Amino acid sequence: MGLLAILRKLKSSPDKELRLLLLGLDNAGKTTLLKSLASEDIAHITPTQGFNIKSVQSEGFRLNVWDIGGQRKIRPYWRNYFENTDVLIYVIDSADRKRLEETGQELEELLSEPAMSGVPLLVYANKQDLLHAAPASEIATGLGLHTIKDRPWQIQACSATAGEGIKDGMEWISKTVKKK
Amino acid sequence: MYLGSLYLYAYWFLRPLIKWFLRKTTKLCELQRVCYGEPSGASRTLGVEFSLTHSKTPQIQEVIRYLNERSENLEFIGKHTKTNIEFAVVTVLRVKKIHPTIHNQFIKSFGRTVEQIWGYKQLNVEVEELRRTAYDSSNPQHEEMLLGLWQRLNPDTRLEARVTKQWQDIGFQGDDPKTDFRGMGMLGLHNLYYFSDHYQKASQHVLLHSLHPVNGYAFAIVGINLTSLAYHLLQDGAAKSHIFNFAKGSPVMRHFHQLYCYLFCEFDRFWFDSKPKDIMDFARIRDDFETSIRTILANPHTVFRINMLVDTI
Repeated sequence: MGLLAILRKLKSSPDKELRLLLLGLDNAGKTTLLKSLASEDIAHITPTQGFNIKSVQSEGFRLNVWDIGGQRKIRPYWRNYFENTDVLIYVIDSADRKRLEETGQELEELLSEPAMSGVPLLVYANKQDLLHAAPASEIATGLGLHTIKDRPWQIQACSATAGEGIKDGMEWISKTVKKK
Repeated sequence: MYLGSLYLYAYWFLRPLIKWFLRKTTKLCELQRVCYGEPSGASRTLGVEFSLTHSKTPQIQEVIRYLNERSENLEFIGKHTKTNIEFAVVTVLRVKKIHPTIHNQFIKSFGRTVEQIWGYKQLNVEVEELRRTAYDSSNPQHEEMLLGLWQRLNPDTRLEARVTKQWQDIGFQGDDPKTDFRGMGMLGLHNLYYFSDHYQKASQHVLLHSLHPVNGYAFAIVGINLTSLAYHLLQDGAAKSHIFNFAKGSPVMRHFHQLYCYLFCEFDRFWFDSKPKDIMDFARIRDDFETSIRTILANPHTVFRINMLVDTI
């Protein structure tokens, strides 16, 4: 498995635990991403009420991934999970062009939170398998990612259902965390 | 643990011998002993299912193969139900040399268990088909059902538009419910609709509970999560005890919907009894709920009584 190989690479920092926070609007694909990271079945996903957490462990290395529901009513609770976050993973439904603005605003608010200052940001431009998906470059421009100077960031095109692009994002995380 | 597996090993090793001994002393085959010895319902049906699936007789294995195929093609229950059951009964009578007039009662009881076992399998296939059907807003039947759900839950409030924030009032996430069905597909909508249609008072009551400002929950989203629970209980066989006791004849879609309605009402009670701080407690409480339901279902005498009597305040 691709992911396992990445995790083995991360072995060089033994016993290190990473806290990854998965956020994004509802229907962005956060839970699907979480399940595919844990190599679990993704056919039976339901909307997340509250949150899901999974630990993916590999030879003394542990990824604690927190997947918080994206529904508007739940977003005020996001802040309860900010503390000690090593990497923020922000997931976007690239095919939901109507809500690109909304997702941009949410991200902007997140990045301005004091508890999130300096936390590396990985944006997954998800659902690239859909015909009308916006390309990652267009989303990066729309979100104004290029103006971010206070943290490492990366945008990664992916399809969580097809399992494509996820590995590349995780590799970026492993590189970024090692540099720290 | 070690002793248990040793016992199990000994049992499987000695099973043919035990069966032979009982056959000689009681003059009854295992299927007869189950049908005469166990009360009708899950105990009997599960006993017969166990005996059939572990049978080494080629003719019986052939019956199983044939009935499996029928139920997978949705042809077990329907026009040919009677002939399908007869095929199983006649084969068993012949192979086990059972006299049909002396053991008339066996024919009836055994036939019923066959109907339940393969009816359950067919129900699984039907449920899976609905789950795989994605909600499609260009399908007028899907749209009609969705709007019907609103009407039944909120008969006094008109939906202002097809895409509206009002959907959040019944616990969908956004302005258009279509993306909320996800991995449960039309099964989620069918479940919600059935609940609101057949138990209108109870569903409205539960909806009202869910709107509690501090420790309420999102009715529709929780409903879809409960569809997932009911679906898994059915598919992994945990629901057999209840379904076999509850359905008099063959389990059909209605029985699945009713199990769902039961789970919804029970979850509502369980949620408030668990004293949630807020909605972020959902995952934990949902898991506890599943554990408690599975514990009850492990008892073959379980029947969930769908008691929808609503306390009127």
